[in-house]
Amino acid sequence: METIWLYQFRLIVIGDSTVGKSCLIRRFTEGRFAQVSDPTVGVDFFSRLVEIEPGKRIKLQIWDTAGQERFRSITRAYYRNSVGGLLLFDITNRRSFTNVHNWLEEAQSHVQPHNIVFLLVGHKCDLEAQRQVSQQEAEKLAGAYGMRYVETSARESINVEKAFVDLTRDIFALVQSGDIKIQDGWEGVKSGIVPNTVHSSEEVTKGNRQCYC
Amino acid sequence: MSLPSSSPEREGLPQLECPSSPSGMDPDPPSTGSPVLSPDSSSHDATLSAPAASPADSENLSPDELELLAKLEEQNRLLEADSKSMRSMSGSRRNSGSSLVSSSSASSNLSHLEEDTWILWGRIVNEWEEWRRKKDKLLKELIRKGIPHHFRAIVWQLLGNATDMPVKNQYSELLKMSSPCEKLIRRDIARTYPEHEFFKGQDSLGQEVLFNVMKAYSLVDREVGYCQGSAFIVGLLLMQMPEEEAFCVFVRLMQEYRLRELFKPSMAELGLCIYQFEYLLQEQLPELNVHFRSQSFHTSMYASSWFLTLFLTFLPLPVATRIFDIFMYEGLEIIFRVGLAILQYNQTDLIQLDMEGMSQHFQKVIPHQFDSCTDKLILRAYQVKYNPKRMKKLEKEYTTIKNKEMEEQIEIKRLRTENRLLKQRIETLEKESAALADRLIQGQVTRAQEAEENYVIKRELAVVRQQCNTASESLEKALDTIRELQEQKYTEPFVTNLQTQLEQSRLHEAELFGALKEMQDKVLDLEKRSSCLPDENNVAALQEELKQIKLRELETLRSFREMQDTVTDLNQRWQLHMSRGSSTGGGGGHWKESPKKNAMNELQDKLMTVRLREAQAQAELREVKLKALQLESQNQIHSKLNGRNDQERSALQDRLQMLANQNKALQAQLNEMKRKQAELDCKSKEEVMAVRLREADSMAAMAELRQKVADLEIQKEEGLIQGQLNHSDSRQYINALRDQIAELKNEIRQMRGHKAAPSSRVSSGGGSANYQDLCLTSPTSAEGDYLSSDEDLLPSPLPPNALYPSLSSQCHPSARLDSEGSTDSEAEERVLTHPDPQQLYGSMVCAEALDN
Repeated sequence: METIWLYQFRLIVIGDSTVGKSCLIRRFTEGRFAQVSDPTVGVDFFSRLVEIEPGKRIKLQIWDTAGQERFRSITRAYYRNSVGGLLLFDITNRRSFTNVHNWLEEAQSHVQPHNIVFLLVGHKCDLEAQRQVSQQEAEKLAGAYGMRYVETSARESINVEKAFVDLTRDIFALVQSGDIKIQDGWEGVKSGIVPNTVHSSEEVTKGNRQCYC
Repeated sequence: MSLPSSSPEREGLPQLECPSSPSGMDPDPPSTGSPVLSPDSSSHDATLSAPAASPADSENLSPDELELLAKLEEQNRLLEADSKSMRSMSGSRRNSGSSLVSSSSASSNLSHLEEDTWILWGRIVNEWEEWRRKKDKLLKELIRKGIPHHFRAIVWQLLGNATDMPVKNQYSELLKMSSPCEKLIRRDIARTYPEHEFFKGQDSLGQEVLFNVMKAYSLVDREVGYCQGSAFIVGLLLMQMPEEEAFCVFVRLMQEYRLRELFKPSMAELGLCIYQFEYLLQEQLPELNVHFRSQSFHTSMYASSWFLTLFLTFLPLPVATRIFDIFMYEGLEIIFRVGLAILQYNQTDLIQLDMEGMSQHFQKVIPHQFDSCTDKLILRAYQVKYNPKRMKKLEKEYTTIKNKEMEEQIEIKRLRTENRLLKQRIETLEKESAALADRLIQGQVTRAQEAEENYVIKRELAVVRQQCNTASESLEKALDTIRELQEQKYTEPFVTNLQTQLEQSRLHEAELFGALKEMQDKVLDLEKRSSCLPDENNVAALQEELKQIKLRELETLRSFREMQDTVTDLNQRWQLHMSRGSSTGGGGGHWKESPKKNAMNELQDKLMTVRLREAQAQAELREVKLKALQLESQNQIHSKLNGRNDQERSALQDRLQMLANQNKALQAQLNEMKRKQAELDCKSKEEVMAVRLREADSMAAMAELRQKVADLEIQKEEGLIQGQLNHSDSRQYINALRDQIAELKNEIRQMRGHKAAPSSRVSSGGGSANYQDLCLTSPTSAEGDYLSSDEDLLPSPLPPNALYPSLSSQCHPSARLDSEGSTDSEAEERVLTHPDPQQLYGSMVCAEALDN
């Protein structure tokens, strides 16, 4: 199966523990919502193709990170090679919102000399009744840091596609304008076109799944 | 014992099914597989069954111990086969209860074997101390084969040395306390083994005890608190034992099994583990390592969860539990071994995949590879070369690296602060330098200015020097003259000579002064004259005249020359005559001389007369010239006069025109006034006529009425007389008559009133004449002071006060009536005494103006 893509963007998804990072990514990459999912211990990896304009496909490599603070010693190694980031907070959890600043600082101090284009995501927007962070407040914060803001819900599949596609478009525009350059030794953006042989999960599973002992 | 025949087939299958596994691994499984199958296998076989990594372990085992091991192996195989069928039925990944279930549904053979192992493990547990001291290696082997499900709780406790811990007594106390990590623990509890029966559903027993243990630990060890991942380990413990025991084992695991270091907030141990693992990978699977690096597939991506959850989140629970058995005895070493074994097993697949592929492979394929062949995995794990000394060394290396990094970090921090300070310093210096640059520029500017000034000064200096030189030269000259003079010495004649010279020069000067004055006077005179001189036209005329005069002069000159010619002619003739006369006189007689003399005299007389005539002609010429001059001057004067007259004339014409205009305007006004007056006169006349007519009418009416009254009185008298005759009729009649009388009287009154109104109108119509009369009185009246501002209303020179009475009389009718009453007669007199039509006209104009 050959897939042709213009660029490959590496994105990192960060945010406090249990804000729903893995669920959001699963919804985006697998189209399903798991009621419960393991806490991410370390870093997980996902990928998906996104068509930002007809015929213009971008491959997204998404790093899912552990939210608990002590895992930062592992996750911080992944900032450097990311071009974009989704910074999640849980709209029903005020603390996760106040930590946004810390996350940005953490990312900023480990991404140098590169830069990450961040998108602020208010997750779990289906739980309107339990909301603790208003949209205006979040938009204000996002504006202060020059970020776009979007509210999503993995459960109801609200804005999930939009969040990733918007971020991808923004990065694509920056790549086009030359503000983001492809560099050797940096894997944030890679130029594609080379048709890579990618095994779909089904194929791989079929081939190697069984092991008759 | 009937089973072994089928076992080899089962064992043989994976070799066929997994051709992709590394070639180095292939020869081992059959060698381990077949000998162990037979219970009577020799010690040699037993040695073979033990992995090469730990050959010493099985060397010292007795035959019956080996037999026991073989039995265990067989049981395991059966269990695995069973669990495989179970797994395929349930399909659950984390089906930890499989062993428990399988034991109940096990075949009779299995139960027989199980019985043996239970007896064995019972013995082990009972004689734990002895076993640990004397049969440690056998115990190790037994554990590697797997601890029976029912013995796990106690064996793990024994292995962890957690049977009798003082912390156990605190547990109930700890449950009453609250932990800062509670919230996070609560959130994670729901997603720990969410599909396991024991933990399924909110507020299930499993979730509750898991929460309790996690909370209790977070309180006991505040530094570590709660770390994501650790709940899986506790969860596994809770599947086997009550919460208090699980808590104790967990505390031991944390303290004694490096787990605490792993879960510490810094997670330094995890970094070390990954570092050590990477070393092993590089050493034993260099190709795969290169591939990972080229795809930037970091070790931490897959290995961090291996270490943190001891494969509990990576492999299915039965497999992970087997690994955990070994972990309880041997520690983290088994994690390294299993990890490397997994990578080794998948090396050929992974090398062909890119990042996504590898990620998928790790997530989807690897976890289920060993579902039915856990032993094989463990076997492979023990074939991995693991050198504890080497690991120790690596640890040291890592700590030094980390220390270095720390130092570097500190250094970086220090350098950053230094950098910041230096930047600040640079900023201040830049500011200073900017200030200095400004000063420099200013200095240069002032220098340039100074240089310019300097140049000017130098030039001045040069000039001064030159002056100085000339001055010194003149000084020298002066000195020379002084010297000369001194040499000459003062002599009286010289001095007097000088004095006379001085006097002379003074005189000369005075003369010159006089001449200058004269000249100045002349100049002034000339200027005056020039100012009087006529303009260019006149000059042209004068020039023409001059030409004519010159022509005349020329004519006279010509005539004069002619005359001179005649004179010279005459003279010549005279001389000729004289000479002739002399010649004759000399030669002739005296008598002849006298006539000659007479002739000469005559000629002389003639000459004299001619001369006289000449003189006269010259005089006449002069006279003519004078006359011409006089005429010229007269002409000039006349032309000037002419110009002035012209000017005057034009001025007068202008005035005339102006006056004519004024006159016209005034006449127009006059005409207007006259017209209006005529109109008014007509109106008044008409009105008078009308009034007179009405008066006549009313008079006639009056006469009629009077006649009627008289008639009525007569009738009344008649009535009275008749009334006296008949009372009743007369009274009524009288009343009727009275009414009639009253009516008539009213009529009369009305008539009178009607008459009075027109008469008042008549008086107002005629009043205008009266007002005019009043106007005439006003100049003497005191009210005249009010009227100064209305002057401009008046088109003609009219006494301004004339306006006022008419104005006041119109504005205040009562006043008018008063004045009418009191001054009528006087006014009439004054009209007679002051019949000034102009004033009258003026007041009319004013009245008109006011009406409008």
